[in-house]
Amino acid sequence: MSQTQIVPEAAAPRTWEPKVVAFLCNWCSYAGADLAGVSRIQYPPNIRIIRVPCSGRINPVFLLRALQSGADAVLVSGCHPGDCHYISGNLAARRKFTLFRDLLKYVGIEPERVQFTWVSASEGGRFASVVEKVVEQARKLGPNTKLVKRA
Amino acid sequence: MTASHEIETRLRETAERLLGEKKVDLFLGHEKASLPLRTTPLFLTVAADAARLAWNPFCSPNLAVYLPRLFRAPADAREAKTAPPRPTVGVVLKGCDARSVVALIQEHQLPRDKLVLVGIACPGMVDARKAERVLGLHEALGAGEDAHGNIRAVVEDGTEVTLRREQVLADVCLECRAPTPSICDIVLGAAVEPREAHVARRQAEELESRPADARWAHFQQMMSKCIRCNACRQACPMCYCKDCLLDQTRPRWVGAGTDFSDVAIYHLARAFHMAGRCTACGACARACPMGLDVRLLVRKLNLEVEDLYGYRPGEAVDATPPLSAFAMDDPQEFLTEP
Repeated sequence: MSQTQIVPEAAAPRTWEPKVVAFLCNWCSYAGADLAGVSRIQYPPNIRIIRVPCSGRINPVFLLRALQSGADAVLVSGCHPGDCHYISGNLAARRKFTLFRDLLKYVGIEPERVQFTWVSASEGGRFASVVEKVVEQARKLGPNTKLVKRA
Repeated sequence: MTASHEIETRLRETAERLLGEKKVDLFLGHEKASLPLRTTPLFLTVAADAARLAWNPFCSPNLAVYLPRLFRAPADAREAKTAPPRPTVGVVLKGCDARSVVALIQEHQLPRDKLVLVGIACPGMVDARKAERVLGLHEALGAGEDAHGNIRAVVEDGTEVTLRREQVLADVCLECRAPTPSICDIVLGAAVEPREAHVARRQAEELESRPADARWAHFQQMMSKCIRCNACRQACPMCYCKDCLLDQTRPRWVGAGTDFSDVAIYHLARAFHMAGRCTACGACARACPMGLDVRLLVRKLNLEVEDLYGYRPGEAVDATPPLSAFAMDDPQEFLTEP
């Protein structure tokens, strides 16, 4: 078992809850999530955060890997266009994710399973409502069965 | 269309001259293979061997795949000291192969000044599998081209069968937008009329019109035949990475087996890596031992790249590939808003 495997909850959970893996950029979205926490804004606990240097660092294979390991949805969030700590990482990422989402849709994977957004360090509230929306959509879609690897 | 044998003669003369005058150290071309309907790559270093070069409707191998490894940068300063001088290489290019070379130069994998590009205006190459399918139970023992460009095959009982060229051309050739190579130093043969990629678009639209689960079923049904031999990656001229992400074991991003989930991720990742880079030479499809339509996904992605960013791979050396560029006003309707 590799370190990227998401360990299934002990025994069979009685009621299914969606698991969402969120890739957040260090400079904006991670700080936004932190602000949401510090400000005690409530949002669903279904989210598992992975901090990355920049949304441009995310290889779409990471997202596939998360879905394969049992995530029901994946969220990617970076700085707003123009605010990237590395000037243009998020703009390069935007093109990548546009194509990646189209690719998933083309093969018949629900595009709502892979979500992208921008959250700045001051947008704790926006982060909470994005998470709410993503989790709600994942719940509506039901468990991810298409890409998940059965042991 | 210039007759193949005329081009073949001029090609042999050209290679002989280039090697004889020491203009190139190595010349890459095609040679008659041991099986009919196919050719094999030929690496020439002596002018006297130029007569082995072949030009016929079976020269489908994309020779650009051999180029990056000839010009790989030394790993460190010590290796750089002992590395032999870089060779000058002459290479035979069809339209698609020339597009691959353009893309490789764009990505700084090839030094233009070390290449002598011999382009041939290509009337399209035969897909050996298609021809074999048309022949049905007959087995071709030899094959050639008649005066009209149709394919003549001699089958096991000695009879000669004529195959219509359009019927046996490779899928990529049927929608080749640039059959006449663009950046070459020498171009042999008269320019060939470009075609349009209508088939790819129609196919993509047809698949898109089906519901998501039907699309998934289609993808699953086709890709589940994949045996994960990685031949499509090896055959691809644009797959030159020294360490492929798909081979890494720490962490292992993609399992190496034929579990469908791994197969799906392999094909999604490979297609995505090719987005805006695939020059539609069809090497992957030819290499696939299972006869899968491995270009299914990348065909769609390239259409998407063209529609969104107005870019076609392998057209101009000085263009920036779409995923290395960005614009402030790139579309972003897909974003999740709270």
